[in-house]
Amino acid sequence: MGDDSFDLVGCLQRVRQHNQSASRELVEHLYPLVIRIVRSHLPRRAAEEDLAQDIFLKMFTRIEQYQGAVPFTHWVSRIAVTTCIDQLRAQKRRPEFRWADLSEKETEVLDNVLTDERDVAPGDAMEARELVHKLLGQLKPDDRLVIQLLDLEQKTIAEISALTGWNKTLVKVRAFRARRKLQKLFKELQSKEKS
Amino acid sequence: MNRFDHQWQKLTALARLAGDTRDTAAPYGFATRVTGLAAATPAFNPRALFERFALRGLVVAAALGMAAIVLSYSTITTEATDAYAASDTVGELLDLS
Repeated sequence: MGDDSFDLVGCLQRVRQHNQSASRELVEHLYPLVIRIVRSHLPRRAAEEDLAQDIFLKMFTRIEQYQGAVPFTHWVSRIAVTTCIDQLRAQKRRPEFRWADLSEKETEVLDNVLTDERDVAPGDAMEARELVHKLLGQLKPDDRLVIQLLDLEQKTIAEISALTGWNKTLVKVRAFRARRKLQKLFKELQSKEKS
Repeated sequence: MNRFDHQWQKLTALARLAGDTRDTAAPYGFATRVTGLAAATPAFNPRALFERFALRGLVVAAALGMAAIVLSYSTITTEATDAYAASDTVGELLDLS
């Protein structure tokens, strides 16, 4: 995606004419965009390459429907996000979140976050990310997606609405519901920490 | 902002600092495999899908219609005969029964 000189319009025209070489160029051009989305919303035990493949296959089967109303990359992003959400919905059970499952470093980071007087160190970023993913794993797939996009990827409500196809009110409701669940989890963790 | 919001924002801000350094280039052969699979997969055609389900719906409706006729055949014929008999005014007048 870093290649600004890539002629996307011309490539799309050739793809529509069933040009295999253009199709390969399109996949290679869009792969970084797709794999970033897949890695952000990858369900447990799912192989990122398989999911990326599904996304590209959907893109090719629906390419005739692309009318150009939105940039092509947005259209592909939407396919990627909806494919990931379908995969997340397919995994029924969420692993139970237990204090004992946290690594020593993750426990330390959580402790620092829960006790407001202590600062968190930038060196703990990886553990914080793991911890956030474990907490997000406790949410319903749709709620998880909203929080991921809102708080980790810092997208606006309008951008999330465009990516998912959900209206803005629904996005806000899901964010509210997710935060309430996270708050409950935080309270449980605090009580476990004290005991 | 309440206490939880502050804690959550603190945690996510820290999580965002962990950049993803993994390679984002397509693995060798990925594009060839995907385009090959895409070429072998028929294009999605909403009209064809509608036609397929519409045809199935027609078959199911026809089968249900036939079943309804078969199951209620005796009732229909009996009622028709009774109705005819009840409305046989000429027969009643001439006392033909």
